[in-house]
Amino acid sequence: MELRKYIGRRLVQVVIIFFVILTVLFLLFRLAPGDPVSRMVDPDMTPEDAHRLKVELGLDKPLGIQYLVYLKNFFTGHFGYSFHYGEPVVNIIWSRLPNTVLLFTTSIILSALVGIFLGKIASWHKGKKTDSILTIGALVTHTLFLPWLALIMIWLFSYKFGWFPITGMISEDVWLDPDSGFIAKSLDVMYHMVLPLSTLFLIHFGAYLLIMRSSMLETLKEDYILTARAKGLEEKVIRDHHAAPNAALPVVTSVGLSLAFSINGGALTETVFTWPGIGRELVFSVSQNDYPLAQASFLLIAAVVLVSNVVVDVLYAYLDPRIRY
Amino acid sequence: MVSSASMMKLYKMKGKIMEQRPQRASCRWLLVWAYAAMLFSGLLLAGSGVSAGETLKIGILEEPKTLNVWRATDAWSNKVLGLLYQPLYVRDPKTLELIPWLAAEQPFFDEKDLSYTVKLRPAKWSDGTELTSEDVAFTGNFINEFKVPEDYSKWDFISKIETPDKQTVKFYLKEPQATFLTRTLTTPIVQKKEWVDRIEAAKKTEKPLGTLLNEKIDSPVSSGPFILKEWREGSYLFLQKNPRFFGTGQKIQGRLLGPYIDGVIFKLFGTSDAAILALKKGTIDMFWWGVQPGYMEDLRANPDIELFQNEKSSLYYMGFNVRKPPFNDPNLRRAIATLVDEDFIIKRILQGYGVKMHSIVPSGNAFWYCPDVPKYGEGLDREGRIKKAFDILRQAGYTWQTAPVEASGKVVNGDGIRLPDGSPMEKFTILTPPADYDPHRAMCGMMMQEWLRMLGIPAYSKPMAFGALLQQVKARHEFDAFVLGYGNLSLDPDYLRNFFLSSNDKPNGWNMSGYNNPEFDKIADGSAKALDRDKRQALIWEMQKIVMRDVPYLPLYNPNLIEAVQKGRFTGWVQMLGGIGNLWTFCELKPAK
Repeated sequence: MELRKYIGRRLVQVVIIFFVILTVLFLLFRLAPGDPVSRMVDPDMTPEDAHRLKVELGLDKPLGIQYLVYLKNFFTGHFGYSFHYGEPVVNIIWSRLPNTVLLFTTSIILSALVGIFLGKIASWHKGKKTDSILTIGALVTHTLFLPWLALIMIWLFSYKFGWFPITGMISEDVWLDPDSGFIAKSLDVMYHMVLPLSTLFLIHFGAYLLIMRSSMLETLKEDYILTARAKGLEEKVIRDHHAAPNAALPVVTSVGLSLAFSINGGALTETVFTWPGIGRELVFSVSQNDYPLAQASFLLIAAVVLVSNVVVDVLYAYLDPRIRY
Repeated sequence: MVSSASMMKLYKMKGKIMEQRPQRASCRWLLVWAYAAMLFSGLLLAGSGVSAGETLKIGILEEPKTLNVWRATDAWSNKVLGLLYQPLYVRDPKTLELIPWLAAEQPFFDEKDLSYTVKLRPAKWSDGTELTSEDVAFTGNFINEFKVPEDYSKWDFISKIETPDKQTVKFYLKEPQATFLTRTLTTPIVQKKEWVDRIEAAKKTEKPLGTLLNEKIDSPVSSGPFILKEWREGSYLFLQKNPRFFGTGQKIQGRLLGPYIDGVIFKLFGTSDAAILALKKGTIDMFWWGVQPGYMEDLRANPDIELFQNEKSSLYYMGFNVRKPPFNDPNLRRAIATLVDEDFIIKRILQGYGVKMHSIVPSGNAFWYCPDVPKYGEGLDREGRIKKAFDILRQAGYTWQTAPVEASGKVVNGDGIRLPDGSPMEKFTILTPPADYDPHRAMCGMMMQEWLRMLGIPAYSKPMAFGALLQQVKARHEFDAFVLGYGNLSLDPDYLRNFFLSSNDKPNGWNMSGYNNPEFDKIADGSAKALDRDKRQALIWEMQKIVMRDVPYLPLYNPNLIEAVQKGRFTGWVQMLGGIGNLWTFCELKPAK
């Protein structure tokens, strides 16, 4: 019952925060310098033509009216048309989102699994060579500059060795071939995914490793570990079944929020690897003053992150019976 | 989220139910497969099933924003649409003269009723229907009725379009208009059948123009050498040879047209680095974007790469706010023009890949470029420039606390400059785009700051986000000086009139400097109405002389366009002003034997 009350209270908070974000987003974009029409610097377009375009985009109306239209659009689930593409914003987001989710969610899950596993090993061998190698390795890869690493990966594995395609998500040779079926196309996507996924993995797994390692070191000092040893349990059993599940709890919050943010994609990764995801689109829409597309993308991220926060808190209580709201 | 929770569950289960190992393993696999199936389901749409064959693969850096020809204002959409929708007249690659394309011959002008008659050659749309005068009239009428922002200024002086027969179009003009041939008749023609229903439907909506601009065009009906076969957004766009292209087998301007290739694939790359690696690797045959000087050494050394260097029709310049001091004084502008060393800019900033600009019209646009304009500081070294600029200002009444040129002729750092009325010259800013947007322009701003300070002129270069810069300069007119540019100027020099006409000095107008000269206005208006080409040339030359005398804009440079292709894959690249990516190339390119 208490949990239900807690969830209810949190959801009310979420709605209020979301409404604030909705308004702040609207104002932020309008206060930013420039407008979508002033970017069209073709000397053939007269100021009168440019004004007509503004009227068509609804940018001639007072800010208050624009805000009301924005709210109406939001509540009717119609986020308007992108100024740049002239397509419904929802279509653009839905066409990019699966690509982002595919790459980034996979990378986070993979990084978390490997990070947790290696963190466990590192903490178990604290102060030994294994620990040093893993910890230093994690620190080094985690602090690498992503675009640099991405370019090095492309240069080495795609250009020099020729093992992987030079960027992109699909190969036109496969997708234009009438004989290519579901399997061939799926394999093609996976083949293209290897390099971006490896890059993201290298950058991210270190963080999980370090969190897991420190959490595990704390857990190993607990009394129940001593009890387990006193019972004469095998070291492997103590590590994997008594310490690790408890130590992994803080990682859950981190993984949960990372998964939520993964729909945001990564503008740098998507740009360097020409991955047609939402991150690149988001940055592009902001730089082009494409208000409808930028607003809708940010709102989507805000909604997912807010809801995930609640879910992570609830999940935490489920995973750790000691935590009660 | 679900998967991590499942993972945690698995940890717990592992501690408690050791004997259930086989079920747990299968459960894990089930999760993995369900996850994979879910993610791939959104991706796998049926392919169109075409073979690539002898296909030209082109690397591009941005996707076309739309295939709706009325909305396409970006370079990338126009690169693709230029191969689909065709105009009545195009430019000859060598002479840049207008030559008949969809038209059969040069237009016939009737002075009495101010009309032009254009005969069409037999041509078909890609859907098999005939391209007729109805389509041409429809295109013009549609633009005028809906006032399509991008095209309206090219057609608003047309009073009536008649179609005496299927192959003849007659345009009646409200008044003589020099740009009719160069801009109106080079507008791409659309198929009436493709748009007529859409227009009727749009008329019933609240915003008919907005509705049409937002219309999604999935399969444009083409009259060009290619047709759209498939566009997989975010990855590639495939154009296939149009078997109904009117030019196939025809000789136009002595060129026997194909296309001789099966198709063109535009392949998207997120960065120039990746595109150039793909070109070197042979994944693409051409990179349709200017190669930056930083890549040149590497590409020149590569035996598989061929480079083409062409002039662009572009203008990069410094603009002054002539509405207020200190730049309301032409002497100061002339002195600055003398100080600015274009040779240095070309050699050091552009690393030799560019040409100096003496006038607003690029020299590559040979017919309209006036070679006889004042060339400030030409042939002088730095000291010579400072002395000359000092002389100009001293004669105009400027004074210094420390003059930049001593009585002995020695050049020192000037300080404390005062305007002719005795007041000190206030600090002023030269606004430039930021270095990440355009390093050349940002660097030019910094160099100019240093050159001006040598004369004691308190200049400060200030990079500013592009959107903010435009708003400051174009909308609000709150600036002293700026560096901007046009990367793709039209070949018709009418922009010269637009840039400096006093009536265009208004918020968001093209006269950003606020130049106001009745003498110029008169000649400019005359040039817009001059139908005789030679007469118009004389007026355009006169306008250039006036502008370069008064220097509201100081032209700085015109960067060369360097394009790279794979050597030995295709032959027949046609070079012209603006590079090898032109209609002629796509009609003449052949696979190498």
